[in-house]
Amino acid sequence: MLEAIALSKTYGAHTALHPLDLKIEPGEVYCLLGANGAGKTTTINLFLNFVEPTAGQAKIAGLDVTKQSIESKKHVAYIPETVMLYRNLTGLENLEYFTALAGVEKYSEAQLRGFLRDAGLPQQAEDKRVGVYSKGMRQKVGIAIAMAKKAGALLLDEPTSGLDPKASNEFSELLKRMSGDGVAILMATHDLFRAKECGTRVGIMKQGRMVASLSTSEIGHADLERLYLQHMHD
Amino acid sequence: MTQVIARKEFIEMLRDGRVRWTGGIVLVLLAVAFLTGWTRHHELTRQHSAAQEATRKHWLTQGKKNPHSAAHYGIYAFKPKLPLAVLDTGTEPYTGVAVWLEAHKQNEFKYRPAQDATILARFGELTAAAVMQLLIPLLIIIMTFGAFAGEREQGTLRQLLSLGVPARRLALGKALGLLAGLGVYLVPAVLLGAGAILFASGTVESAASAPRAIWLALAYLLYFFTFAAIGLSVSAWARTPRLSLIALIGFWIVNCLVAPRAAVDLVKAVRPTPTAFDFAQNIAADLAGGDGHATPAARAKQLEARVLKQYGVSKLEDLPVSFAGISLQDGEEHGNAVFDRRYGELWDAFDSQNQMRNWIAIAAPLLAIRPVSMGMSGTDTAHHRDFATAAETYRRDLNRRMNDELRDHGKGKDFGHLVGDDFWSQVPDFHYIAPDASWAVRNHAVPFLLLLTSAVAAGILCYRTASRLRIE
Repeated sequence: MLEAIALSKTYGAHTALHPLDLKIEPGEVYCLLGANGAGKTTTINLFLNFVEPTAGQAKIAGLDVTKQSIESKKHVAYIPETVMLYRNLTGLENLEYFTALAGVEKYSEAQLRGFLRDAGLPQQAEDKRVGVYSKGMRQKVGIAIAMAKKAGALLLDEPTSGLDPKASNEFSELLKRMSGDGVAILMATHDLFRAKECGTRVGIMKQGRMVASLSTSEIGHADLERLYLQHMHD
Repeated sequence: MTQVIARKEFIEMLRDGRVRWTGGIVLVLLAVAFLTGWTRHHELTRQHSAAQEATRKHWLTQGKKNPHSAAHYGIYAFKPKLPLAVLDTGTEPYTGVAVWLEAHKQNEFKYRPAQDATILARFGELTAAAVMQLLIPLLIIIMTFGAFAGEREQGTLRQLLSLGVPARRLALGKALGLLAGLGVYLVPAVLLGAGAILFASGTVESAASAPRAIWLALAYLLYFFTFAAIGLSVSAWARTPRLSLIALIGFWIVNCLVAPRAAVDLVKAVRPTPTAFDFAQNIAADLAGGDGHATPAARAKQLEARVLKQYGVSKLEDLPVSFAGISLQDGEEHGNAVFDRRYGELWDAFDSQNQMRNWIAIAAPLLAIRPVSMGMSGTDTAHHRDFATAAETYRRDLNRRMNDELRDHGKGKDFGHLVGDDFWSQVPDFHYIAPDASWAVRNHAVPFLLLLTSAVAAGILCYRTASRLRIE
């Protein structure tokens, strides 16, 4: 569903991403681990065609993201570290707007409210302007937008940073449910616990290079942490 | 999708306090401008028609007198106000609207409010035209500066593009939303303006001005469109809304404050016109024979010899006609030649200034909308010139009638021929009909084309910048 083929990005002399090969099948949750500047966000931006690759290819549902930029985005939903919404619109209006632009089926108001509830947004917040929302609430609207799009692939850039443990846990449950529905998920995160908890595979990145890639079923949480720290110290 | 974007832009605009305040202030100012325009127009039209009637009545009932005395007595001619003058007073405060038509002289116009105005008048009168030319662009800037740059800073642009929204569709939606948002303020403004025009001039006259109104509306729409497209382009280009706002306000200052001032100074330096004093001096000198023709005394001698020969007599006393009438008319004709030349030069100088200013309008659309607005409102220099020419033609005809009467009914050196009210009524009243809309449009073909060009250029710029939309 998501595929990187020798995908790389350089900015002048600086290499943000060394040639990366990655394939994420439907139902898989791939967690990218690494320090800031390791190339996690670059990878996600390349999939979104926000930045042009220097070499290689990024594909979503078999579509080259640079050549079929608009078409490929139909198959992917994206939740950034901080979900950005229109402050003068309510949570419901934001969801309505973004789903309408995503070009998915037309939802009724009740269905839209359902997505917000599923994402964990308190019911009384639905009709309040987003300007008064907390970060967690915005994040939940972002999740609702992603769910409503019913895309085959999900790109997440540290989606749980700044969420309280309960919200974070609910989020993990959601990811599990979506992967159960056959969604391919690529998530950049700092949270080793979360990665082990809901990821099916993890990749450790360092200075633009994928230094380790393994299945979470092969490794315990403590071992994962040790492996991670070991790579960070090298 | 476009519709969804437009609707959301519109809702956001309605909820944005900045837009609401600016729009509200613009509407209030427009309403005040319409109200003052209407009362001023109504009052002046009433005064003019009363004065026009009075001057005619005085003419008709001036009693027994010598025709040449009557020519000195003269009449006043008032430039009628077209209905759209409610919107734009144009050059009238400076050029005046009334002229005294008398013997021997082509007079300057009188009733120039600018003469009596304080230094504050330099800021310009509050007219609907000023609000539309200066403040509505400001409203458009407030509405557009954040269109893309705001979303870029907020991060929602990233979100939108991750959904696969084509940038051009986004730009089109935003433009349509802007249109609807502007409509919230422009539609009531147009209704208020139409009301002011109808109340000031009545339905018949207003309806006759409909073609002018359509051209005027078209010109303003092009002007607003240019600002909207530039606003969207700058917003699409600028990294932050702050930068976008600064750039747009900079453009506004150049267009609305710097360019008109600079254009006046530049035009005056390159294509100078004589001062009022020099102009009057030149005419006086020409009339005294300074233009290479004979002096008045020498001309009188020549005329006398010519007339004596024509009638085959040796003394003026033996003439079957009044020499006074002939000599006065001869003086008129000499004077008219001088006036035609000197006023012609002056008008041509104004025209060439206007033409030069038209070309500066490439950089500042205000300089293109201003002449068009005045032209359609009938308050520009071209309308002034047309009226002045009609008034002068009437003056010359009036003087000829008086001189012919004196010539034909007097004898020899007779100057004492008297006529009464039945003669005065043979002189037709002064009637002036302003030229039609197509004449006014032809006069301003260049600024019209410039408005169209700048709108098209701004549209293309907008399309280009929106197609290459950056996320950060």
